[in-house]
Amino acid sequence: MMEFDVQTWIKVAAFSGGGLAMGFGAIGAAIGEGYTAAEANSAISRNPEMAGDIFKAMLVGQAIAESASIFALVVAMILLFTNFAAESFVTVSVLLASGLSMGLGAIGSGVGSGFPAGAACQGMARQPAASGRLTTNMLIGSAVCQTPAIFALVTSFILLFTNFSGRPVSPTWAAVLGAGLAAGLGAIGSGLGGGLVAQASCEGVARQPLTATPVTNVMLLGQAVTQTTAIYGLLVAFVLMFKNFVPTDSIAPPMALLGAGLCMGIGAIGPGIGEGFTAQSTVRWIARNVEATADLTRVMLVGQAVAESTGIYSLVIALVLIFVV
Amino acid sequence: MGELGKVHQLLIPLGGHTLTFNLEAILMTWIVILVLTAFGYFATRGRSILPGPMQALGELFVNQLFGLADDALDKELARKYAPMICALFMFLVLSNWLGIIPHLEEPTKDLNTPLGLGLMGFFIAHYAGIRAKGIKAYVREYFEPMFFMMPLNLIGELAKVVSISFRLFGNIMGGSIIILVVSYLTYSVLLPPALNAFFGLFVGTIQAFVFTMLTVVYISVQVK
Repeated sequence: MMEFDVQTWIKVAAFSGGGLAMGFGAIGAAIGEGYTAAEANSAISRNPEMAGDIFKAMLVGQAIAESASIFALVVAMILLFTNFAAESFVTVSVLLASGLSMGLGAIGSGVGSGFPAGAACQGMARQPAASGRLTTNMLIGSAVCQTPAIFALVTSFILLFTNFSGRPVSPTWAAVLGAGLAAGLGAIGSGLGGGLVAQASCEGVARQPLTATPVTNVMLLGQAVTQTTAIYGLLVAFVLMFKNFVPTDSIAPPMALLGAGLCMGIGAIGPGIGEGFTAQSTVRWIARNVEATADLTRVMLVGQAVAESTGIYSLVIALVLIFVV
Repeated sequence: MGELGKVHQLLIPLGGHTLTFNLEAILMTWIVILVLTAFGYFATRGRSILPGPMQALGELFVNQLFGLADDALDKELARKYAPMICALFMFLVLSNWLGIIPHLEEPTKDLNTPLGLGLMGFFIAHYAGIRAKGIKAYVREYFEPMFFMMPLNLIGELAKVVSISFRLFGNIMGGSIIILVVSYLTYSVLLPPALNAFFGLFVGTIQAFVFTMLTVVYISVQVK
């Protein structure tokens, strides 16, 4: 007969958390990097003279797209090689949540930051003179794409390095799991959407290098608004991690907290991608018709606000689940 | 690793409540303020048609940020709010860069700093909105498209403060956590300087710009 004490369960959670972090974390970056390489090849076949520069841009873009996966690797390594104190069953849930948060959170940013890198490669083939500006634009766009993954990382590290063992096991186990899911799932849509915006801006700079300044500015604005729902996910995660809950024997309060995390996490995916589409098209058309920048930007902001309303519904329901139910 | 998440606080009990002062954030904010004041002094001392290096740097900031405000607002409002926009950006950039100096920390790493600045932007935007449209039209906007949408419009407006401040806080906090953890894992060999350059200088500048631009846009959305 095997022994299942706290120590064993914590080991189980650390190992499976590490596996989940790296497993999920590997999905996004690989897709993004593959897309970049595909675009780079198509660009080289159009303009073989630029092969050297395009190859370099591809490698730089892929390196940035990989950073979300590297965050997941760091979290997985910490989970595998740290000895966690066996004080409370809450730690089991904390370790799982930490792995899930970082793993899920790396998906969107990994895929997303592949898009601008691909568009930059295409742009270099099309407009070799704008290579420098394109590289800068790609770097800025992909760096901002990483923001949702960084939010997931913050949640993951706070879970790992805060001492939750003094809290009541129920409902804290559900609260921390909900926090991990809210931050992790919430980062998927915004990471992907932010990538779409950055892609359009690299394309736009190549199409009309003179519009680079408004294109980059509106890209940053569009990406920032696209990230809003990921920030709601981070907010719900913070509330779930730092609010003191009363101990309970009933199964209902923990489920409400878990539900709050799931509600915010899943609810943030759609608005992130949708707002990304809005900003993508705006940036694309600003490059073609720069005189209309003011109107396009205003309609983009209103459209994004409307697309975001479903994310706000999720936030409201999540907060009701935490504070009222 | 123990220093992660530790905050030096001064607690003063006052009539049943406790006043909490985050000493590090206050000290670092004062360092930023002093450096900026010194910069302002040296940039404007002995102004001439042929600018010295400090004056040129100052003019660069003012020019760029005035242009940013001018694009989003009309002439009169741009003249009114550009100094605030310029100060906000310079404060944020310096704050985000401060962490690359050993023993100093970004004041923006403490949620209270971005939240305070976000609230400032929120109140300025709404004040500008009421001034431009009048209180009636301002209030009526909350009841559009239907009157029962009022609570959601209100939450959407408040969520802007949350999103602008958490975006800055999350990025700066995340960067500093990554630097701390990687330095610990690699015994501070090789990687940390590159990470400092990326998260401190590059991401710090971008996020300062994003924060500033969002503040401008919030004002411009309110006045239109």
